[in-house]
Amino acid sequence: MNRQRVLTILKYMILVLFLIACLYPLLWLIMNSFKTQEELFTNTWGFPHVWTLENYKHAVVDGKIGIYFLNSVVVSVISVAGTIVLSVMASYGVTRLKWKLSKTTLSIFLLGLMIPAYGSVIPLYSIFNKMGILNTYLAVIIPHITFALPTAIFILTGFFIAVPRELEEAAIIDGCSLFQAFRRVVTPVVVPGIVTVTVISFINIWNDLLFSQIFLTDKKKMPLPIGLTEFQGIYSTDYVGMIAAIVITVIPVIIVYVILHEKIIDGMIAGAVKG
Amino acid sequence: MDKILSKKKYIALFVGPAFLMYLLFGLIPILYNLYLSLFKTNLLGDSTFVGLKNYIHLFQDQFFRQAVANNLKFVLGSYAAHMLLALLLSNILFQKIKGSRLFQSVYFMPSVICGTAIGMLWTFIYHPDFGLVNGFLKAVGLESSVRIWLADEKTVIPALIVVTMWQFVGYHMVIQLAGMKNIDAVLYEAASIDGASRWQQFTRITFPLMKPILKIDSVLIVTGSLKLYDLVAVTTSGGPNHASEVLSTYMFTQGFKALKFGYSSTIATMLLVLCIGATLIINLVFSGKKTDY
Repeated sequence: MNRQRVLTILKYMILVLFLIACLYPLLWLIMNSFKTQEELFTNTWGFPHVWTLENYKHAVVDGKIGIYFLNSVVVSVISVAGTIVLSVMASYGVTRLKWKLSKTTLSIFLLGLMIPAYGSVIPLYSIFNKMGILNTYLAVIIPHITFALPTAIFILTGFFIAVPRELEEAAIIDGCSLFQAFRRVVTPVVVPGIVTVTVISFINIWNDLLFSQIFLTDKKKMPLPIGLTEFQGIYSTDYVGMIAAIVITVIPVIIVYVILHEKIIDGMIAGAVKG
Repeated sequence: MDKILSKKKYIALFVGPAFLMYLLFGLIPILYNLYLSLFKTNLLGDSTFVGLKNYIHLFQDQFFRQAVANNLKFVLGSYAAHMLLALLLSNILFQKIKGSRLFQSVYFMPSVICGTAIGMLWTFIYHPDFGLVNGFLKAVGLESSVRIWLADEKTVIPALIVVTMWQFVGYHMVIQLAGMKNIDAVLYEAASIDGASRWQQFTRITFPLMKPILKIDSVLIVTGSLKLYDLVAVTTSGGPNHASEVLSTYMFTQGFKALKFGYSSTIATMLLVLCIGATLIINLVFSGKKTDY
């Protein structure tokens, strides 16, 4: 019995230790964003003695983090909306409509889960260059949607398959067009799947560095991650300003996570474990 | 009814837009990438067909070889570290633990945070003057171990693997836990009655029945380490002296800095081949007899 207790205590110690290891760096980041540069060096570990908002002011006013933030919002919102519309329609089409190649089409979409984006960035650069859309929002929105589609379709088809056929049959017999049945009857049933897809694609798109690094060179169009690297380049020794900028970047995702963590975990696991 | 559901007009309307987009900007560019890798080109007009020369050059290029070696170090290091720690944690949380959901949610959290921000956060944690790592070492009297972790050729890769662990161990743990929860609880009851120890239960029941999920998780860890980009780009840009150069950063600098896009496409192709190859190998390794009780 005694040995059992020691084991239990040991287990909780490991769990709590890892919990602290996960949280402390984030707490450290937030605490230091309110310190002066001098205090960062003299009092690294603890809460600030004097709280200051100067770092945030500097990050927003001089570092133009506000503009990067807005760009991130614009790019993420449009990309997520595009992903949702296209993937909901395609998932409906491959699961509910009756045609020979539906299964093949679905497998081609799911192939995308295996293919890393690196294989297509150079050609995309060349294609966007010819289309004359390099350095526009469109140049990042297009690849964001394209590479979000396979996961989105994978998750959504799972939801659409589960909807009983009678539902849209009844609607159509009642005089709905197929499109009305799709929009008013079937889609509302898969809203939980749409929420999951929205959250996952939002996180991936908000966090992306590669696409904006390649397809955008105009600072006025850049989203947060690349904005952070710009800030780092210019104010390389303003550590506390940098830290404030990082906090501004991670806070939206952390807030979304705190509210929706169960959905996010389930969705990301489902997206990863495609069996 | 079926007539309506199989109208070509509707199929094109529903599936067409997504498929077209995926085809034009996802699949065709991959083929185009293969094609580009046979050229010497700056994408601005100067373009010469060179056949397989880029590939031959690749194997003579010491920086490419270094990048592959570094990727392999990341793969092996991350694999051992992620697997062991995630298995330990998932096994603890598989038992009756108070606050299990809370632990899981917190452990998972770093994996949703922006890799660029995490890279920068850790450059501060490893900072020589005020960083936590050196601060901790000094506090416990290990001053001889203090070093500039990310600027030292010997420590840069282990230091970055620690960052990937901080970010992704919780993610892998939750995946493994999802696999464990599918195991029939009756098996454990029977084993307990027969007097099997916890360790025996792990080696005889949990581990063999987890094989499918471990396969998936292995693919995720290995391809994740092969595709590693944000973290290296932000913390070291492949330095010092190419000591942390990986395929993705090398592809980026060869293409978008040196403007050798043909060569860069060749590196991208190799990255693709490595990812697919690794997936196939892992599938083969795990393809042994399926355990069923």
